[in-house]
Amino acid sequence: MKKLFGIVLLTLALTLSACTNAEDSFDETKNITVYTRDTTSGTRAGFMEGVGFADAATNDSLLVQGFVIKDNTGIMTSMTTDQFGIGYVSLSSVNNTIKPLSFEGVEPTLANVINDTYGLKRPFMWMTRDASDYANETIEAIVNAFIAFLGTTDAQDIINNNGAIGLSATQSWDDIKSNHPITQQDNTGVVVRFGGSDSIQKVAEALTNSFVSKAGNFTAEHDHTGSGDAYKRTQDPAIKDTSVGKDVGFSSRYFKDSEKVGVEAMNMGQLAWDAIVAIVHKDNPLINVTAEDLKKIYEGTFETWSDLLD
Amino acid sequence: MQLNVTPTIMQNKPKNMNDKIVKIVLLSFTLLSSSFIFIVAGTILLKGITPFITQNLGLGKVSLISFLTGDTWLIGEAFQSNLYSVGFIIVSTLMIALLSLLVSFPIGVLTALFIAKVALKRLANILRTVIELLASIPSIIYGLFGAGIILNLVYNLSAAFGYQSKGGNSMLASVLVIAIMTIPTITSISEVAIRSVDKKLEEGSLALGASKTQTHFKVVLFAAKSGIFTSAILGVGRALGEATAVSLVAGGRRSGYSFDLLDTTSTLTTIMLEGMKETTGLDYDIRFSVGIVLIVVIILTNLILNWIKRKVGNVDVK
Amino acid sequence: MLMLNKRKTYDITMQTLTYLSSLVSIVVLLAIVFFVFQKGYKLLSWDLMTHNYQSVTYIADLKDDQSSGVFISPKTFDEDTFYSIKWGIALKDDENLIGGTSVFVTYIHPDSPLNALNNKGVGVEDIYVKEDYQIIRIAFDGSSSALAIHGAKHMIEVLDTQNSFRELEFSTTGGGIRGSIITTLYLIVLTLVFALPIGVGAAIYLTEYAKNNRFTRFLRQMIETLTGIPSIIYGLMGLAVFVHLTIRLTDATGANIISGALTLTVILLPVIIRTTEESLKVVPDDYRFASLALGASQTQTTFKVVLPNATAGILTATLLAIGRIIGESAALVFAIGTAVKDDIRLTEKSTSLAVHIWSMMTDEPANIELSSTIALIILAIVLVLNISIKLLSKRMLRKQGVKR
Repeated sequence: MKKLFGIVLLTLALTLSACTNAEDSFDETKNITVYTRDTTSGTRAGFMEGVGFADAATNDSLLVQGFVIKDNTGIMTSMTTDQFGIGYVSLSSVNNTIKPLSFEGVEPTLANVINDTYGLKRPFMWMTRDASDYANETIEAIVNAFIAFLGTTDAQDIINNNGAIGLSATQSWDDIKSNHPITQQDNTGVVVRFGGSDSIQKVAEALTNSFVSKAGNFTAEHDHTGSGDAYKRTQDPAIKDTSVGKDVGFSSRYFKDSEKVGVEAMNMGQLAWDAIVAIVHKDNPLINVTAEDLKKIYEGTFETWSDLLD
Repeated sequence: MQLNVTPTIMQNKPKNMNDKIVKIVLLSFTLLSSSFIFIVAGTILLKGITPFITQNLGLGKVSLISFLTGDTWLIGEAFQSNLYSVGFIIVSTLMIALLSLLVSFPIGVLTALFIAKVALKRLANILRTVIELLASIPSIIYGLFGAGIILNLVYNLSAAFGYQSKGGNSMLASVLVIAIMTIPTITSISEVAIRSVDKKLEEGSLALGASKTQTHFKVVLFAAKSGIFTSAILGVGRALGEATAVSLVAGGRRSGYSFDLLDTTSTLTTIMLEGMKETTGLDYDIRFSVGIVLIVVIILTNLILNWIKRKVGNVDVK
Repeated sequence: MLMLNKRKTYDITMQTLTYLSSLVSIVVLLAIVFFVFQKGYKLLSWDLMTHNYQSVTYIADLKDDQSSGVFISPKTFDEDTFYSIKWGIALKDDENLIGGTSVFVTYIHPDSPLNALNNKGVGVEDIYVKEDYQIIRIAFDGSSSALAIHGAKHMIEVLDTQNSFRELEFSTTGGGIRGSIITTLYLIVLTLVFALPIGVGAAIYLTEYAKNNRFTRFLRQMIETLTGIPSIIYGLMGLAVFVHLTIRLTDATGANIISGALTLTVILLPVIIRTTEESLKVVPDDYRFASLALGASQTQTTFKVVLPNATAGILTATLLAIGRIIGESAALVFAIGTAVKDDIRLTEKSTSLAVHIWSMMTDEPANIELSSTIALIILAIVLVLNISIKLLSKRMLRKQGVKR
């Protein structure tokens, strides 16, 4: 009973001190707490493939025991409290509350991704339905126009504006819009369904927001549930015609071989790059990691911070 | 004088067409309401059984035994393997429910005692409103609170004692969040039970020379134990079924039986919630199977607790 | 003497524990409210509640007769606002409705060519850039675009070096939760329309008409069991049954508000039935006997005598139901979908306030501030509802005398 009282008091006292964490020296003997996304995440697939641990992309049993599963923001907030944690996030999420690590000696900046020196990146891909597989011709024409739009400087502007890295383009939408007369009509009420990766949701919504005003004000409906659903909801015969089917699906990883079966080359492509950054708490003395370091951390060979820092 | 023979008297056979029609309409509404439980159970059963009976698009049947006893959620790649098991998750779920009850039960009952017997009327009313407010806060707000404050709390608390926790994501954090959510349930039901204890028992105890506190704890609480026990049963029910709030603090453990409070964990509900993104295939259907396990666990716990309650016995309350 | 001391210690310990336990509930409630308030207060605004979620983006270029010039403004601008004399527009980096930063228009010189622009898209011919609009990007022929991500200062600097632009992309404010608020209201109305008749009807049957036999007890037991089921299971059922039902019967193509309302109906039935039954039981039998003795039929008795006296209880049940509807998230995530919409149609996906929170929390990146703001709104509504329930039950008790 008294113990309960004591613990309550201690808790209250510690709650107050929780805001002011006065831990100055970094204790290297502590275990590394590994944070990861769940198996449906394209970010995870990109990360694992980039560090040479591709098998662990969708296989939890290969990772070190006792990892913590969080979403993108969860990993960010975890790195602000957990001094001994390590995780990975998309470059567009990085801010000054955590410490981004250099990869193979290269700093994680936009410039380094564009000049191709920063190696930890993954592609943003798109996939559409087969020709004539749409609800009606208007939707098909709009989708074709949208895909053409993705290759213009205007679309690349939007992509860059949202933290991803656009591919280089030469034409603007104005140059090619005459090829897509459907965009000059009033398309109010026409619903085009977008889905797939939720890592791309922000970029995808920005792209459709911009394109809608260029293409007759159609309605873009976004329902992002995971990269795997890009193929499943546009091309998989068992799913694409059900109530969850989509017209355009985005994926934050390369399409697997199983997803390319029966899909024509013109119905899939890449729209951008996204860099992945390994992050740690600001008190962590680590500055740079190699692919091998990361693999060893995530498979459990490195257990404590001293394994890595010495 | 309250006649307790209402039903029989009302059973004058309805004399005219109007009455008959109304009766039939109302009966149909009742039948509809009672049938929903079967619809719910039916859908879950139907979808949840399939991984065990069909070939799952070439991946092979999932073995029921290993599903219920294994220690790894999934061996192999998602959508490429059929080696699922929830054995370790069942254990964690029960542990978390039990531990949270250990925390919320004393606090809840004592608060109920305070409101019903000890506090002045004004304070009691305020406290009662506080409890009601807590009871009506949507669970996702508890989740936000948990992710924001409880994680920090657990991380710093364990660090102060010299243990390393994984950013606070732990069984302890889940226990705390669920405990906070169950306290209102336990308090409000226990309070009703305590208030309906016959005054005579209390007065008798005081007349025999017991102090107020002794009376409260040794007579009143004992007399209300049936109602208090019911509150515990309902509290456990809430603990077992909570999904969104826990998913933000549990950590998503994927393998290994663990009884370590500061280690990450999973519950049946959080595993169901996490897989709801990509919506077809074995990885999706298996969530329904987990749902079946959850329902079975809840029914079994309810039955066991009700049995204990009957054994503990009833004391005359009015 | 020793006996008394032991008892005293026991008494004091137990009393302290009792006081402490009660303290816990108050501390927790205050902590939750404080936390949600602190995170969500900044974004709370009337704008947030009335604006669309989707911002409307406009794409424009200069009218033929317009060009840049010199637009000196008498206004002085603070150091965070950047003004272009060439174009007569002032821009500033500021927080948008959902907590991110955007480039906002703070002032436009009345003679500036940017006032009235040519709409490059389909629709109205003239579009206007106004204060508080957000500039997304400005594209130029022959040089790279000025993007909002680089900030207001950069945008003004680039503008000052250009004589003309290819297109200007700007948007009205978005991120508002008006759509979710409307959906929540629709949900409440629709669910009550389904649940109240069935629930009250079943309660009436069980109290007034049914014999107290095994079958009735069985029916009651089946309804009671519904209460122990976690909401996520209802979500699964809603997805499997009601979504398909509505797809078959209406022109819906996926999860929709109607299927959400149906799912909520099933969740709420036990609560409504139980509360209504309690309030029907409290109506004295004398009323029933008197009515029948006067020659009224069963139906008339039930509906004109018994039911009106139970209205307070039914109202309580309704308010409890509304509270549950607003707070329910897990079940609705499946039954209604997670697509945040502005144009709410009953047969289309949408989000209620609680599901909007869920959607914001599982986005990339998650928006804890906005989630807390919505949580604040929900808490406020729930508080008001609770107080109403209390006042209503007080009135109900007063009407019955002090019968419990």
